[in-house]
Amino acid sequence: MTVLTQRAGAPPAKRALTRRGRPAGTIAPYLFVAPALLLFAAFKLYPIAWSFWLSLFRTDGALQTFAGAANYRRLVADPLFWTALGNTGIILLVQVPLMLALAMGLAVALNSPLLRFKGFIRLGFFMPMVTGLVAYGLLFAILLNPQSGLVNWALGLAGVDPVPWLTDGLWAKIAVGLALTWHYTGYNAVIYLARLQALPKDHYDAAAVDGAGAWHRFRHVTLPGLRPVMLLTLVMSTIGTLQLFDEPYVMTGGGPDNNTMTLGLYLYANGFRYFDFGYASAIAYALAVIIGILGVVQFKFLGDKP
Amino acid sequence: MANLPRRRFLQLSALAAGGAALSACGGEGPAATPAAVGPTGAAAKGDITVWSWQGPAAMMKALVPDFHKAFPGIRVDVQDIGNPAIWDKITAGMAAGGQGLGDVLHIGVDYLPAYIEKFPGGLADLRPFGADRHRDSFAPGMWETVSREGKVYALPWEANSAGFYYRADLFEKAGVDVEALRTWDEVIEAGIKLKEKTGVQLLGIDKPASQADSANLFQMLLQLQDSFYFDMQGNITLDTPQAVTALTIIKRLNDAGLVADMAGGWNTMITSIKSGSVAVQSMPTWFGGIIEESAPDQKGKWKVRLPPAVTEGGKVAATVNSTHLAVAGTSKVREAAFAFAEFVLTRPESQVAIYKGKGIAPALMSAYDDPAFHEPSAFFGGQKKGEVFLEALKQPSYVTNYSADYPRALKIVTDAQSRVLLKGADPATVLKEAADLIAQQTGRKVLR
Repeated sequence: MTVLTQRAGAPPAKRALTRRGRPAGTIAPYLFVAPALLLFAAFKLYPIAWSFWLSLFRTDGALQTFAGAANYRRLVADPLFWTALGNTGIILLVQVPLMLALAMGLAVALNSPLLRFKGFIRLGFFMPMVTGLVAYGLLFAILLNPQSGLVNWALGLAGVDPVPWLTDGLWAKIAVGLALTWHYTGYNAVIYLARLQALPKDHYDAAAVDGAGAWHRFRHVTLPGLRPVMLLTLVMSTIGTLQLFDEPYVMTGGGPDNNTMTLGLYLYANGFRYFDFGYASAIAYALAVIIGILGVVQFKFLGDKP
Repeated sequence: MANLPRRRFLQLSALAAGGAALSACGGEGPAATPAAVGPTGAAAKGDITVWSWQGPAAMMKALVPDFHKAFPGIRVDVQDIGNPAIWDKITAGMAAGGQGLGDVLHIGVDYLPAYIEKFPGGLADLRPFGADRHRDSFAPGMWETVSREGKVYALPWEANSAGFYYRADLFEKAGVDVEALRTWDEVIEAGIKLKEKTGVQLLGIDKPASQADSANLFQMLLQLQDSFYFDMQGNITLDTPQAVTALTIIKRLNDAGLVADMAGGWNTMITSIKSGSVAVQSMPTWFGGIIEESAPDQKGKWKVRLPPAVTEGGKVAATVNSTHLAVAGTSKVREAAFAFAEFVLTRPESQVAIYKGKGIAPALMSAYDDPAFHEPSAFFGGQKKGEVFLEALKQPSYVTNYSADYPRALKIVTDAQSRVLLKGADPATVLKEAADLIAQQTGRKVLR
């Protein structure tokens, strides 16, 4: 208590500092942020603006003609765009909720006072996040190879018929979902864990005094407490999933027959395979609008109400 | 001895690569006075980077010491970018106005038209460096392939014919005389026999199209019927009887259980060669070198022939593709870059060394005079492998218009093939859909 009151008496010294401010001093903070702002403008703002401009052109490699909204009209009529959007939507609706539920369960378990070797186990679950995207994509492609993969070999030992991972449309989607789950669950669990550890212990104590069991404590204390990070992880996972590229690129190449084609892959193919940069930019902007809308919706339903 | 085959080779390659003005029966042709071979470039200076892939990159690296002796002012760095990664990398460089591109670029005929047409200035015009003096050193048709509106964008390297590599020992066990197979109908019968007797599947296809090049067999079957995705005017020719026939053969092979799934593409295919899980690799000239390198212990077990015809009495020879060395339009050392391309591609000794090393077949005419192309190959059971393909080059071959929209068309075709192989879809239906989709995406017309 005494420490706090002493602190409360400190402001005069602080005020003395700010009074020393000079015109030069008002420039200084801008100088400090200038490099970051310049880099942001050069590598983010400029490409974003240029990409929109480009989306209004019919491009054929380096040849460009202004075409107004033609690329966007073409997008609406393009069956492959809708296939890619549908695939991304399925992964979003199935994989993301499962992964986040898993991450939450994992976080609660990792937070348990009963658990030993906590640091080691947490590290174990977070490690996949450190693995390079391409490296783990390749790893999954090798493990899930229908003929020579370890997974089918192990299933074979258990008497299960080989699963056509990567060669059947549905299984390929599941394979990509599995890879995503392996990679990102630990990452989300760590975010939940950080929040769990910040939750005030007295809420639990109070609930316990009121006779709440483990489930009720989770339902009425833990879940509301996790709400802000649930929004965070949900929005991040949504954005990440909509931009999904590396895993299907490495594991399936978008196949078979476009069953794992994502908007990211389709954008890339149009830009860098077909030299159609204007159309690729239009896909990028459609993607940005979808991400924006979903973000707003999620904030509306999960965000803090004023 | 060398003169006759060479002349025929010239005539027929002209057909192969679309030298429209060149007649197949025109006596001597422009090659009557071949230019002096070998680089005559000035004492160019500079450091150059060469982009290629796997085998060809290794072969160019091996030529570098000799090149340094001949051109002490130039330092060469040959980089193995990998295939297909190299196409994305070149595209990115071109889209960035030539930033970061290698000076010498190794480009396949399937991508060359797109780079030339869609990125004006992306590839240097090689005439100022004297490329024209080599015009007649290659098959004249090849020169048409690398030229557009009077400009020369690359020097030809490979001229690949369709081949049919097979495990002679396995077929012998099954009691099948492979050399006697005349059509793909007979191939299917032979495949069934082979599978019954040895348990080995006939051939492999990347069924889910996990890599871009999973339509090689389909394309070859088209080219054997004088057909492709596009005709010479750039119309889409996938909704045609030829295309349906080609895809139907693939479906029948698959329905008979003769097609192994090579999901994973290249690596899986190499593994299948090593383990002997399929008996046939229906691949072009250069693939012989790959087999030899991948499975040295299978020496004597392999043989090669030209592919059987699609229909009775049909063609057995097709120039399926070619590759070329181009110089980046923005390169600061274009002259030095050209000197290197010239050194690799216009000296018979370079091309013979490359053929001996990796079995890569040159478009350079004078190289075929070397005995290397006429020697029995120990790996291929004492066959004169080089002559098998030289025989193919001598026959009239179909002109393939890859067009600038090839990558988009290829993707749609491989998807259609996947539906047939994995879901048992009807070839005629998927090809009609594919043709329509390509039309929707490219604005080209479908020929029906």
